[in-house]
Amino acid sequence: MYEHIAKNKAKTAFIIAGFLAFITIIGFALGYYVDYRYGVSGGYSILFMIFALAIAVIMSFSSYYFSDKIVLALTRSKPISREENPRIYYMAEGLSIAAGIPMPRIYMIEDNGMNAFATGRNPANGVVVFTRGLLENLNDEELKGVISHELSHIKNYDILLGTIIVVLVGMISIISNIILRSFIFGGGRRRSSKSSGGGIISIVFLALGLLLLILSPVIATLIRMAISRNREFLADSTGALISRYPAGLASALRKISSNSQVSAASNATAHLFIENPFGGKRAAFSNLFNTHPPTEERIKRLENMSLGVGI
Amino acid sequence: MLPGLIVTIIVIIGIIVVLLLISIGIYNSMVSLRNKVDNSWSQIDVQLRKRYDLIPNLVETVKGYAEHERETLEAVISARKMGIDAGNIKDQAKAENMITGALKSLFALSENYPNLKADQHFSRLMEQLSGIESNIAYARQFYNDMVMRFNTRIQTFPGNIFAKIYRFTDKDYFEIEEPEAREPVKVEF
Repeated sequence: MYEHIAKNKAKTAFIIAGFLAFITIIGFALGYYVDYRYGVSGGYSILFMIFALAIAVIMSFSSYYFSDKIVLALTRSKPISREENPRIYYMAEGLSIAAGIPMPRIYMIEDNGMNAFATGRNPANGVVVFTRGLLENLNDEELKGVISHELSHIKNYDILLGTIIVVLVGMISIISNIILRSFIFGGGRRRSSKSSGGGIISIVFLALGLLLLILSPVIATLIRMAISRNREFLADSTGALISRYPAGLASALRKISSNSQVSAASNATAHLFIENPFGGKRAAFSNLFNTHPPTEERIKRLENMSLGVGI
Repeated sequence: MLPGLIVTIIVIIGIIVVLLLISIGIYNSMVSLRNKVDNSWSQIDVQLRKRYDLIPNLVETVKGYAEHERETLEAVISARKMGIDAGNIKDQAKAENMITGALKSLFALSENYPNLKADQHFSRLMEQLSGIESNIAYARQFYNDMVMRFNTRIQTFPGNIFAKIYRFTDKDYFEIEEPEAREPVKVEF
């Protein structure tokens, strides 16, 4: 288990490093482009870009900061109280103690699909929401597995990470968008005084840069999905450590994967759920664009932990 | 010649500063972990205290229905007193075991008094008690996890150097003292 956790954390760092390198390249392309078109007096487009980025950052971070309130309002969740549902309440309380985080507020959505998600900007403001379908169909050990998984998301600050990634993806989209638009509207204008040697090389460079810019939002999204999948594996491992019973979560995932559809979910909230909330069968190719790893892989890893293989 | 010398001096100072910062980081992380261990130990006490506070209420409720069961009730009350009065960890652990045993007899007792079992207050108290017992187990699990992290930090390089200098010592795991508790539980009908 400890090995899994360490490996997953290392992978996250690796992917984010790759992401930052990618952004640096894009930024470099931008700088090159601006220099090419405007020389020194390229002030306006840069200003506009900074302004757009500032707005993107402010919006993203407000949604992160108030994520608990926003999500609860959007999904019309009802709080779970100790008196009404002692079974769930005591489980969540005990597992929070084992996780070493303050107990998050727990809520329920009226939905027959089986799913759960966690949100909140830090462990002190954590929120976990379960669907009615989940609470009614899982036994105690399975429920403990799910609760531990959600607590792990909160404990590992996955919500903060997700927000940062979304901001970065947004930045890339905005930057490449601006550059491409300028190409369309004013492309081809060359400053006569800029006569660098090697015209062919600069055209090839430009073409490659253009290709990269067009593909960059897609690449950025792929990276974002890869990070999301990686954090799901990490939440599985950390959760197994908290509950000390990986088989519980494995069993829950088996039950959930047959019926995980939640109508209240959207593209923005999909990555927060324990299993893809959009239901339906997915083609193999779409695994790259999936926020969650394939369920069979998750179950296999959890069961290997149970057998003592790779503790 | 002179610029070379200045650069060398700057590099050396830079290296010293970096080493200093790393050392501060290591020392601080060890202090932080030690405090986490101490905190998690106190958290176990918080749960134990909740159990102590619950017991008088429970005893009163049972008395209302099963006054003649003097022995069992007395056992619970005296075990609780032992726990509160315990001076060291060994005595406290012994008292805790006695409380658990006494509560088990109390619960078995309630099987003979259907009115008691049906009492809402009683069932809610037993529910809370069961929750607290789980919490105690989880708190002990977390304490052991913290101890492992702390001990690993002060045993591995480079922490062990700092541990020697600043005298950080290994913390003890919470372990079962009585060998009987390790025996598999016999279920008899």
